[in-house]
Amino acid sequence: MASRGLVGALRRIDPIAAAGVLLVISFIVIAYAVPYSPIDDANAHRESLVGPGKYWFGTDNLGRDVFRRVLAGARLDLPLALSGMAVSLILGVPLGLLASQKSRWAERFMRGLDMFQAFPLLVLAIVLVALAGNHLYMVVVAIALINTPRFIRLVRSEALSLRESRFVEAAVAIGATRARVMFRHLLPNTTGTILVQASLTAAQSIVVIAALAYLGIGIRPPQASWGAMIKDGSQGITTGQWWIAIFPGIAVFICVLLFNQIADRLEKVLSRGARG
Amino acid sequence: MRSVALRFEVAALPTPLQSSISPDFVRHFSLFAAKRLAFVPAAVLIVITLSFFIVNLVPSDAAREKAGGLASDADVAAVKHQLGLDQDIWHRYADFMSNLLTHGSLGRSYYSDRPVWQDVWLFLPSTIELIVLSLIIATVVGVGAGTIGAHFKNRFPDFVVRAFVTITQAIPDFFLGLLLIFLIFYKAGWLPAPTGQNGLLEFPEHPITHAVLFDSIVNGQWRLARSAFSHAVLPALTLGIFYSAYFAKTARSVIGTAFDSYQVEFARSLGLPDRQVLGYAFRQARTPIITYGSILFAALIGGAAIVETVFAWGGYGQFAIERILHLDIPEVQGFIMVAGLFTLIIFLVLDLLVIFLDPRVSIG
Repeated sequence: MASRGLVGALRRIDPIAAAGVLLVISFIVIAYAVPYSPIDDANAHRESLVGPGKYWFGTDNLGRDVFRRVLAGARLDLPLALSGMAVSLILGVPLGLLASQKSRWAERFMRGLDMFQAFPLLVLAIVLVALAGNHLYMVVVAIALINTPRFIRLVRSEALSLRESRFVEAAVAIGATRARVMFRHLLPNTTGTILVQASLTAAQSIVVIAALAYLGIGIRPPQASWGAMIKDGSQGITTGQWWIAIFPGIAVFICVLLFNQIADRLEKVLSRGARG
Repeated sequence: MRSVALRFEVAALPTPLQSSISPDFVRHFSLFAAKRLAFVPAAVLIVITLSFFIVNLVPSDAAREKAGGLASDADVAAVKHQLGLDQDIWHRYADFMSNLLTHGSLGRSYYSDRPVWQDVWLFLPSTIELIVLSLIIATVVGVGAGTIGAHFKNRFPDFVVRAFVTITQAIPDFFLGLLLIFLIFYKAGWLPAPTGQNGLLEFPEHPITHAVLFDSIVNGQWRLARSAFSHAVLPALTLGIFYSAYFAKTARSVIGTAFDSYQVEFARSLGLPDRQVLGYAFRQARTPIITYGSILFAALIGGAAIVETVFAWGGYGQFAIERILHLDIPEVQGFIMVAGLFTLIIFLVLDLLVIFLDPRVSIG
């Protein structure tokens, strides 16, 4: 059973998953290491050519260096996505564990969650952020709104099946309190699944943030964010200035791909652990 | 002789697309349907109430937005009073519900003063048209790719399918749309510019639903229909390709499992032709594919909004996003409610359909 927990996952660390995590971390580090100031950069250079030379990724409509802005976008988008993921996890995991109890309230809670998920969650997120006035923390709230129900569901279903197992029965028989069963016995055995979902959530959050920024919601203009850059470049797409939108798009793509792959590898490690 | 006898027995098995309907099943089915339908009024009420509170509980300053950035506080207060936003939320909820129940009204837009329902009927059909086209592409491409993957498991074609799924799942749909515009419109010039459902100089006549492709076909305006079709290809392809990844993934694993199942092994051992074996395998994959397709159908009412914006499609999602940005509360409320109700209806139909198609699903 230990192999399903966090320790087990770390012990059998998967080289590809580890490389993915390292890449993400180095991306953030590089983003902070390269100095960037949106105001200094604006209107500096009017040339908007792309290719080898001074500006490898070209410059945008205002003459700003696209390469630097893509890096600067990572400063905003990645921490925002990770904090959205963290909030969903912190809310979703305990709620999921609580909802795995056999009580009428848990049942009602899950039915309520069903109703809530009848709404298009991305649109709810857009409504929430736009109505509340475009604050960055609202973006985190919106991501949590979309992803907390997923964590609740996942942890609950995992915990429900674990509750059937001998060691939980034994713990209950010894007289362990409900809280102890939940946090000492159920939680450690769901860590693997939680990690996989966390990675998927990070990937999805990046997309949500980009989508919000593309619509001009949540992130205000001078700040560099990938979604807003794609929006800026979307005009150029039909007239041939592809680099303004394509490079930030590729940045989103790479990050989402990385997190998806990390999740994928973790899942494989887990299923191997469960079998072996 | 023996093999002929076996063949005869196999032919007597139900064909893959037939369902076993016994009187017993019909009784169970109608009981389940009745139970399920009895739940609908309560669910509708909850969806309507939730859509009201989701929009109204978020602290927003719709009055200031409407009054304009330069308005004085007194002006804003006047607008607030005029819109009824100075009342407390329970009062507004009572107003909203009584209007809905007595006049069937969802209120009027803060800006255009048009009834919300009128905008629903004006914009929703275009979105549904786009969703239907996208779902057709997504299912055909996705299930096709998934089946190829399952059939050539761990061989080259499977590798290609898996790479396709991995890549498509990592591209945001709106960015995929821009990529397609760049490659197919700008570079290749195969399709017209992303100007919505028709060209800028075309004016659809005699609109019925305002979904241009559908209307022009019904009206027999073939020239317009051709243009509408070529304008629909890119947005439908964007959503289609994006969501085909999920279909491919599901189809690959379900059909893969089906290929390993006893009944397929049995069918193979009888020497049935590949096509027929595939038919039996498909039968097991049908339920998850229909389930996913329906969930997607419901989710895309709102989920297609950003792609609609990219292509200036002029559907309900794009309209809603514009309204959201203007804090047009009645319209936003209406949109969330319509999307919620749509989901409710689709899930109801899905529940009944799945029971009908797959009697193994327990009826309780």
